[in-house]
Amino acid sequence: MSETSMKRHMGLRASRAISNTLIYVLLIAISIIWLIPFFCIVLQSFRVESTWQVGYVIPKQWGFDNYVNLFSTDFPRWYVNTFITAVCTALLQTVIVLCMSYTLSRFRFKMRKPLMRFMLILGMFPGMLTMIILYRVLKDLGLTQANATPGLILVYVASSGMGYYVSKGFFDTIPKSLDEAARVDGATRFQVLKKIILPLSKPIVIYTVLTAFMGPWGDFVFARYISFGASAGMNVAVGLYNWLTPDQINKNYTMFCSGGVLVAVPVTLLFLFLQKYYVEGVTGGAVKG
Amino acid sequence: MASVKLTDVKKIYDNKVTAVHDFNLEIADKEFVVFVGPSGCGKSTTLRMIAGLEDISDGTLEIDGEVVNDLQPKDRDIAMVFQNYALYPHMTVYDNIAFSLRLKKVPEDEIYERVTNAAQILGITEYLTRKPRALSGGQRQRVAIGRAMVRNAKVFLMDEPLSNLDAKLRNQMRAEIILLRQKLDTTFIYVTHDQTEAMTLGDRIVIMKDGFIEQVGTPQEVFDTPVNLFVAGFIGSPQMNFLKANLVMGANGYEVEILGVNIPLNESQNEVLTRKEVQSQEVILGVRPEHTTVLFDNAEGAIECTIDVNEMMGSELHLHLSSKNNDKIIVRLPTVDLTQEQRDSLSYGNKLFITFPAKVMHLFDPATEKSLIDA
Repeated sequence: MSETSMKRHMGLRASRAISNTLIYVLLIAISIIWLIPFFCIVLQSFRVESTWQVGYVIPKQWGFDNYVNLFSTDFPRWYVNTFITAVCTALLQTVIVLCMSYTLSRFRFKMRKPLMRFMLILGMFPGMLTMIILYRVLKDLGLTQANATPGLILVYVASSGMGYYVSKGFFDTIPKSLDEAARVDGATRFQVLKKIILPLSKPIVIYTVLTAFMGPWGDFVFARYISFGASAGMNVAVGLYNWLTPDQINKNYTMFCSGGVLVAVPVTLLFLFLQKYYVEGVTGGAVKG
Repeated sequence: MASVKLTDVKKIYDNKVTAVHDFNLEIADKEFVVFVGPSGCGKSTTLRMIAGLEDISDGTLEIDGEVVNDLQPKDRDIAMVFQNYALYPHMTVYDNIAFSLRLKKVPEDEIYERVTNAAQILGITEYLTRKPRALSGGQRQRVAIGRAMVRNAKVFLMDEPLSNLDAKLRNQMRAEIILLRQKLDTTFIYVTHDQTEAMTLGDRIVIMKDGFIEQVGTPQEVFDTPVNLFVAGFIGSPQMNFLKANLVMGANGYEVEILGVNIPLNESQNEVLTRKEVQSQEVILGVRPEHTTVLFDNAEGAIECTIDVNEMMGSELHLHLSSKNNDKIIVRLPTVDLTQEQRDSLSYGNKLFITFPAKVMHLFDPATEKSLIDA
C-alpha cells in the first residue's frame, strides 16, 4: 500500500470512528432524556420520608410503604377493572380482527371492496365524536359508573373489526394455494385459519394481541367519561389521575408513583414474553423458491 | 378410484368473462387424462372446478356417478398436487403428508404406516423430519405428491406439477409419475402446457384453446389425425409446417399442387374428400418436420428450398428452410447417415430439396381451419 493510500485509509477509519462516536453519544443522550421520567417515578415510589412532591430525586428514606398503602385504597379494584377490561378486549378483539382479516383476505363476496372503503372512511372520524351517544346507550344499558368495566369492554370490542388492515395485509402475503391445498386435504375454512394461517402469522397475532391489550390498559378519556366519578368503575389511569387533583396531590403523590410503576409491570412482562415471536420469518419454503 | 363426468360445464367469472365453454368429457375409472393447451385456455380452471376450488357456473360435474357441483373440496374425496407445491411451511415433511389423515382422525399408528410407506415409494424417507424450506424443488414436489398419495382419494388431480422444475429434473419426475400411476392405479387428471408431458403421460389428451375443447384423443390419434390447424400446430415439436397449396381434381383423383409440384393423394384421403364432396380449392398443407425427406440433389416431385438456419441437436439437425414462395419450413434430418461433405453443404444460403409422401400430408380448409381429410 502506498503512503498516500495508507493515509487516506487511516483518515477514513478515523472519520468513521468519529461519526460512530457522535451517533452513539446522541443516542445515549436521547435515551437518558427518555428514561429520566421513568427513573424519577421509580425512585419517588420508594420515597417514604414525605408524600408530596419534593425538589430532589434520590429519596432520603427508602421503603415499600407506598406500595403497601396502595392496598388500603381503591387501587386494587382499579387494577382488577383495568386487567379484566384489557384481557377481555385483547381476547375478543384479536378473535374478531383475525376472523375479519381472514374473511377480507380470502373470501370474495359482493360489496367486499365498498365495505373495506366504508370502514376506512369511518375510521378517519375521531372516536371522541361518538362519546356522547355511547354514554347514552351505555347508561340506558346500565353499563356506566360502577358497571363501567363491561361497558368499556363493549365499546373497545365493538369497533375492533375495523382494525383489520395490518393483519389482512399479512394474510394476503400467505399464498392462497396453501388454503386450497388444505381444503382439498379435507380442512374446513375454520381449520384452514386455525391450522395453516394462524401458525404462519404468529408475529401478526402477537401484534394484534399487544395492541388490543395496550389500548384499554392505558385508556383515560373514555374510561373517565364512562365511569363518571364512580370509583368502583374506574381503571388505573382514571383512579390514579384523581390523586393528582390539587387537594389530593400532597397526600398521594408518592403512592401515585408506586401505582404508576405497578401499571407498567404487566405491559413490560407482556412485551418481554412476546417479543421473541416477532423475529421469526416463517413462510420460507411454502411455495416455489 | 372413480369415473369423472363433466356435462356442459361452464365457468363464467363475475366480470362476465367466460373461461370455459360447454365442457363435455367422460373420464373412465383409472384413466390418465391430460388437459393441455396454451396459457389462458381454461385447463387449470377446469381442473379447479373438478377440485371444488372454483364454482361451476353451469352444467354438472359427477364423480363416481354422484353430482358434486355444490360439494366442498373436502367432501369430494380428491387429492391434488399444485404447481407451486403448496407445502405447509410450518410443518415437517411428515406432518405435511399426515395433515389430511389427521383431519380425518385416522389412528396415529396407521398414519405412521401410510406416511412412511409413501415416503419410501417417493424416496424421501430421510427428509421426513425436515421443514419444506430445507428441501430442494424436486424433493418438495415429491412431498406434495406424497401428501396427495396417502389420501387414497378417488381422483388424483395434478396442476402443472413439473413446471417449476429444471429440465433434467422434469424428465426424471415425469418418468416417476408414470411409475406412480402404475402403483396407485387410480384416476388421474393432469394439467400441463407442455405437449411432451401430455403425450408421454396421458391415456387420452384433451387439447384446449380459449375455453373450448379442440380435440380429445389418445396421443397417437391427436398426433396422426389432428382435427384442425390449432391441434396440428400444438402437438409435435418442432411444430408442423403449414404451406399454402391448391387442392385440384386430377385425372386419377385429388392432387395437391404446391410450388409447381403435384402430389397425388392416397386412396383413403381420396375417399374422404370424395365423400365430403370437396371441390378444387386453396388449402393449407400441413407436414410434420420428421415426415419430410431431404434430398441433396433435385429429383422429380422435390421442392426446392434454401437453408436459413441449421440447428445442431445432437442426433439430428433441425433445418429451417425457405421455399421459393418464402414459406418457412422446418425439417428434421438425422445426422447418423450424413457424410462430412453433406454436413458441410448444410449451411446458410445453400439449396436443398425436400419431398414427402401423400400419407403424411394434412389438409386444412383455410376458412374454417378444420381438417379436410379427417374421417
